[in-house]
Amino acid sequence: MIEKLKFFLGVTRNNLWQFRTRNLFSVTIICLSFLTVGIFLSLVNNLRATARGLAANMSIVFYLDRDLAPEAVEAIRQEISRPAFVEQVGLVSPEQALERFRTNFPDLADVVAGLKGNPFPPSLELRVNARASASQEVAAFVEGLKKRPGVTDVLFNRDWVEKMQGFSRLAGAVGAFLGGILILTSFFIISNVVKLNVFARKNEIEILRMVGGTNLFIRIPFWLEGITLGLLGSLLSLALLFVVIRLFPVYLGASLGALQELLRFRYPDPGQVLALLGGGAATGFIGSATSVSKFLKV
Amino acid sequence: MIELFHIWKQYQKPYWALSDVSLQINDGSFYFITGPSGSGKTTLLKTIFREILPTEGQILINGVNILKVPDHRIYTLRRSMGIVFQDFRLMFHKTVFDNVAVPLQVLGVGRKEIRRRVFATLQKVNLHQKMWELPGRLSYGEQQRVAIARAIVNNPEIILADEPTGNLDPELAFEIVSLFKQINKQGATVIIGSHDRELIRHFGDNILFLQKGKIVGKEAHA
Ligand SMILES: Nc1ncnc2c1ncn2[C@@H]1O[C@H](COP(=O)(O)OP(=O)(O)OP(=O)(O)O)[C@@H](O)[C@H]1O
Ligand SMILES: [Mg+2]
Repeated sequence: MIEKLKFFLGVTRNNLWQFRTRNLFSVTIICLSFLTVGIFLSLVNNLRATARGLAANMSIVFYLDRDLAPEAVEAIRQEISRPAFVEQVGLVSPEQALERFRTNFPDLADVVAGLKGNPFPPSLELRVNARASASQEVAAFVEGLKKRPGVTDVLFNRDWVEKMQGFSRLAGAVGAFLGGILILTSFFIISNVVKLNVFARKNEIEILRMVGGTNLFIRIPFWLEGITLGLLGSLLSLALLFVVIRLFPVYLGASLGALQELLRFRYPDPGQVLALLGGGAATGFIGSATSVSKFLKV
Repeated sequence: MIELFHIWKQYQKPYWALSDVSLQINDGSFYFITGPSGSGKTTLLKTIFREILPTEGQILINGVNILKVPDHRIYTLRRSMGIVFQDFRLMFHKTVFDNVAVPLQVLGVGRKEIRRRVFATLQKVNLHQKMWELPGRLSYGEQQRVAIARAIVNNPEIILADEPTGNLDPELAFEIVSLFKQINKQGATVIIGSHDRELIRHFGDNILFLQKGKIVGKEAHA
């Protein structure tokens, strides 16, 4: 088994070397395609992480009617606590609110002092599970409560989270689109290069048939060839991606100013690295397999 | 045993390259197929090798109808045969060693064993000194011997050879046919297409005369 694998790898190595120029060309194309995918992937990684950070710090504040009886407040509290995505609900009394205002804005102490009575209504502060915070479910929940008697106003600042998520979705879509096109291109390049290799070795293939080679025996080297090309291309693209992520902040980052935060790259995680390599190998294999089954009449 | 039943082969109308050839070749025979150029020797050998399909007729090898063997199973048939084509069909970017090694590689024989057998076979055709040369740098006669070595390296039951001595000087031709004869004595069936009368007279146990695709004579000397 190992002897056989060694044999086929040896054949593959010789074959790759025999047509090194065109094989190098296809490795380059695959590398550039996967580099594009990788760059978008790391961009999306960063945007996602930023959005997650924002969402984790987000809270919703329900301002209540000042004259509400404690039982009614408790009823609202119960109702608000019910959905699964609510992590924590805290009641802020008018006194606490005033105290907070005082500590947060000491410069405005005079203004507060000049007021007669406490201008702050009681409120319920609620923390939402970070994953659900930008979901439609939460928005609907908030909308519903706005109309509830006893609730006077709702403060729900989810704009940034939504923007971030929209951004990351956009980047993801552009990346998927571009990447898809480029990977499709890689696929065609590989299948054409393998086709050329099949044609170039027609004589040899005929001889293999003549001496009793099975279809599998003839095909395996071509498959391995495609897999090697794909794997080499994606491996090279990963190396380049890490270089780009390393060097980008140094050379371009500073000139971007505020955008720097958004245009930062985050290294792909091990799962994504494996996916990129696997994608390369799969592209190579499928590219060569389609070509081989099409042009190797057997 | 190789049995041909009413084989007809037409490449282009209206010529018949083979017409109504029926033949029975017993295991262990030594057979010459002869006839003028264009008489159908190559066509007959290629038909037995199932490289080409006859227009009509049936061929049984050891009772198996080879025309009914599906394409993806032909390898089983090919592994029991060694063939020397008139045009050699060598891989010119590979060494003599690699060319002779293919029939063994296809069988999954181990590397050491391949080395041993390839060397031994190249010795038989007196080409072991050129083992690491590329075929393009050999003379025609030497290339022909590479093709012969490849045909016999895996000890096939049946050897088909099309003009295997066409490019050899009489002495070497004699030697090569002696080699075939020797392999035949070890049990292989050997079928040689040739128009070298000298050799045929000397070696021919069984001779088949073809003319315009028809069998015009058979001779058997025991
Ligand atoms: N591929 C082909 N296409 C068309 N006609 C062919 C083809 N191969 C052979 N023929 C014809 O079939 C006939 C028999 O050819 P074949 O090659 O079998 O003769 P041969 O006895 O081997 O001749 P030679 O001694 O010259 O090798 C010839 O008339 C030839 O023109
Ligand atoms: Mg001929």
